[in-house]
Amino acid sequence: MINKMKEAAHCLQNTSVKEWKRDGGKVVGYSCTFIPEEIIHAAGLLPFRLRGIGTTSMSIGDSYYGAVNCSVPKCILQLAGQGSYKFLDGAIITNGCDSMRRLEETWRKASEDYPGTLPDYYEYFPVPHKSVDYSIEFYEEELNSMIESLQNHFNVKISKSSLKKSIKLYNEGRKCLQRFDELRSRQDVPITGEDAKAVLIAAHAIPQEHFIDMLKEIIEKMEKAPSVSNGKKRILLMGSASDDIDFIHVIEEAGAIVVADTVCYGSRTYSTLIDEKSDPVHALSSHYLTQSICPRMLGYYKTRLAYVMDVIRKTKVDGVILQNVRFCDLHGSENGIFERDLDAAGIPCMRLEREYGPLSETGRISMRINAFMERIS
Amino acid sequence: MKRETREYNLDWMLWSSVVSGSKVKDGTEKEYRALLRLIPNFSGIIDGILRQGEPGRLFMKMGAEYLDDIKTVHDKGKKLCFGTFVASKTLFYAFDNVVPAWAEIMTVFATMLMRKGTAEYMDYCCEAGFTETSCSAQRGSVGAYLAGLAQKPDFLICGAPGICDTNANAMQFMSEYLDIPLFQLTFPSKLTGRRITDYHRRDYKALIEFVEEHAGSRLDEDRLRSVLEEHKRQDEIINEIYELARLKPCPMPPMFNLFLYAGKLQSSGRKAFTALLESMLQVMRENAAAGRAGTTSGKERARLLMCYIDHYTTDARFWQWVDSQEISLLPTLIFTFFNKGINYAAGREDQTYEIDTSTMDTMIDSLADINSHMPMVKQLRGPYDATGMWRDDLFFMSRIMKPDMTVYIGSMGCRNSYGVNKLIQRDAERFGLPTLLLFADAFDDRVASWEFCEDKISEFMHVRGILS
Repeated sequence: MINKMKEAAHCLQNTSVKEWKRDGGKVVGYSCTFIPEEIIHAAGLLPFRLRGIGTTSMSIGDSYYGAVNCSVPKCILQLAGQGSYKFLDGAIITNGCDSMRRLEETWRKASEDYPGTLPDYYEYFPVPHKSVDYSIEFYEEELNSMIESLQNHFNVKISKSSLKKSIKLYNEGRKCLQRFDELRSRQDVPITGEDAKAVLIAAHAIPQEHFIDMLKEIIEKMEKAPSVSNGKKRILLMGSASDDIDFIHVIEEAGAIVVADTVCYGSRTYSTLIDEKSDPVHALSSHYLTQSICPRMLGYYKTRLAYVMDVIRKTKVDGVILQNVRFCDLHGSENGIFERDLDAAGIPCMRLEREYGPLSETGRISMRINAFMERIS
Repeated sequence: MKRETREYNLDWMLWSSVVSGSKVKDGTEKEYRALLRLIPNFSGIIDGILRQGEPGRLFMKMGAEYLDDIKTVHDKGKKLCFGTFVASKTLFYAFDNVVPAWAEIMTVFATMLMRKGTAEYMDYCCEAGFTETSCSAQRGSVGAYLAGLAQKPDFLICGAPGICDTNANAMQFMSEYLDIPLFQLTFPSKLTGRRITDYHRRDYKALIEFVEEHAGSRLDEDRLRSVLEEHKRQDEIINEIYELARLKPCPMPPMFNLFLYAGKLQSSGRKAFTALLESMLQVMRENAAAGRAGTTSGKERARLLMCYIDHYTTDARFWQWVDSQEISLLPTLIFTFFNKGINYAAGREDQTYEIDTSTMDTMIDSLADINSHMPMVKQLRGPYDATGMWRDDLFFMSRIMKPDMTVYIGSMGCRNSYGVNKLIQRDAERFGLPTLLLFADAFDDRVASWEFCEDKISEFMHVRGILS
């Protein structure tokens, strides 16, 4: 089962996506955790989190983006421009951060030079940057517009009851992932961080029903699985987008085991459940705009620190790796404050700036992590 | 940070330089020339400003007043509000016990007046934990605040999440590092429409509540009306200045471009800015009547539109160079404010703000409206090619100002503009506007020196046949 998850983590068009497409299903890519998958799912579409994995060149990404932009959207653009996302029937880009929001224009403009690479359904979706009553209202209205737009384009009906069903389904997925987190962080760790990462990535790359079934099997095995930690240092991975399981492999090669994370493409999306009783669109807007620990929600550092301290307390980690992709100032600077506060709390941590994409700097990263391991030994 | 840099507070140093600079013309010309020799590191900027005559003197006076308020804020029992330039100052001048200081204005003062620019403050930010890839426009002054080398702010305002995350992030970092309360103004990605206006209004009312809470005082209706009326008067003068700037040759001296937006960002609603604008207008009217360009020689060989921001490093060499090349510097694109009646908004009046001082509610709506049209807030909030956004503004401005070329320069922290500046360049070239992207930092010579920028602009103008 883990191999299926790994397949989903290693490539874009995994077997499940191919099967979905073969059966006439449509796939909608989305760029950020602030887009409720439940809505796409309720439309009978497959929500697929956009990634830049497997990029081997930046010829297209660099042609449209500037030199000081983060390589995550650049890699996505690269893949889009070279046709790797042609299996998408739609894409929704949000203003997750300044570099990511510009993917909307760069992809659209690149498609003029690389015809056929822009999905038929292509939308920009704005998300407010604060969690107050009027921003939640605003976001709710935007979600209603998204629903209308999906209905019109794909000629489908997104009813309240279908939305409620999707919320229920995704809540089940969240509960399974919460259990998965409990198991992966117990004293005798039953799964490597590398494998765990594959599971978390697969959660947004294959049909949710299928994912839940597979995850339940994995959880069942994990309940009885032998420890793979063997005295390894327990690590919490924090920071910006990380969907490269090879990166986790490098960390674990240094004698660590990643038992928890708070990264984008990681454990960020399921710590709380969505209210299943109230109006579904309102429930989605309240949840997505208030529960995120992404630093794009500026001004909520203390909430995020409290969340991180809770994770540290529960998972009993030996150290924290605060990583950020270069030019990700949101995570990079917040990591600076986290470092101060975690140090003050006696929790060893290291900051690591890195590039996204092919691990071109494995040697440097490996050396830094080895040094950190020595420090916490 | 070097020990000697820690000897003086940044705000004190800037105050001292600007106040002293504003007095150097008080004596005879011979004394003035002798004094300039004593300030070799920033004689260019002082002379460049004061050479403008009365407007230069008033600009220095306005700067001195602004910095004096900041330096003495706590001595006078007032509260220091620190923020970023994307938030309008008008509101804060309506509180009699609040002094606003904006990061970018402090950075530009320091960048221009200090021999090595703000490098040490920028680097101190990194020592404190802020990323080195963040914007130099904030780091240049924020470093001094983090190091305790300035009056400690009592509260912080940020107005840029989603407009410029890096900018907003600087305020969040400062808030956490120094434990200072922070309010963030936020903006939807669209500019017009009832929902948008309603969002702006509610967010702005929340800001007022925050300021009242932390200032310990109430927003005074009469004072607010007076500040807004002054703001309205300033906008009327600015409208005329922009109209004159269209003339060929352009009667606006290059340095006036800085005066215009620095004044708007720094002293909107204050009488000192009105006096400066009136004086600038007078000079421009005289130049226009004489058919003279605003350059020192009175000639215009080319018209340059900076399509983002200007270049600010030590001694204001950018303006000196433009002037020496007899290039008319048209109003910088991003520093457009979209007040009612301004020429670049003709035909798209729904994108402008209007000041209504009838009641407290209309005034608050006006403030929210002003703020939602601030530089970057207006143009960078949505897709670059959407109605009313960056490309639209560039084309509208180009149609009326008729530049021969446009140049982009930003900072290494400009994720948002760098994300689409190649697209802007391509579209602008197709539009017929020669466009140069400079890979440099407007506030940090260490990325690329001013000489490099000068060389690139010159080369571009020669290659494209703009300036022979």
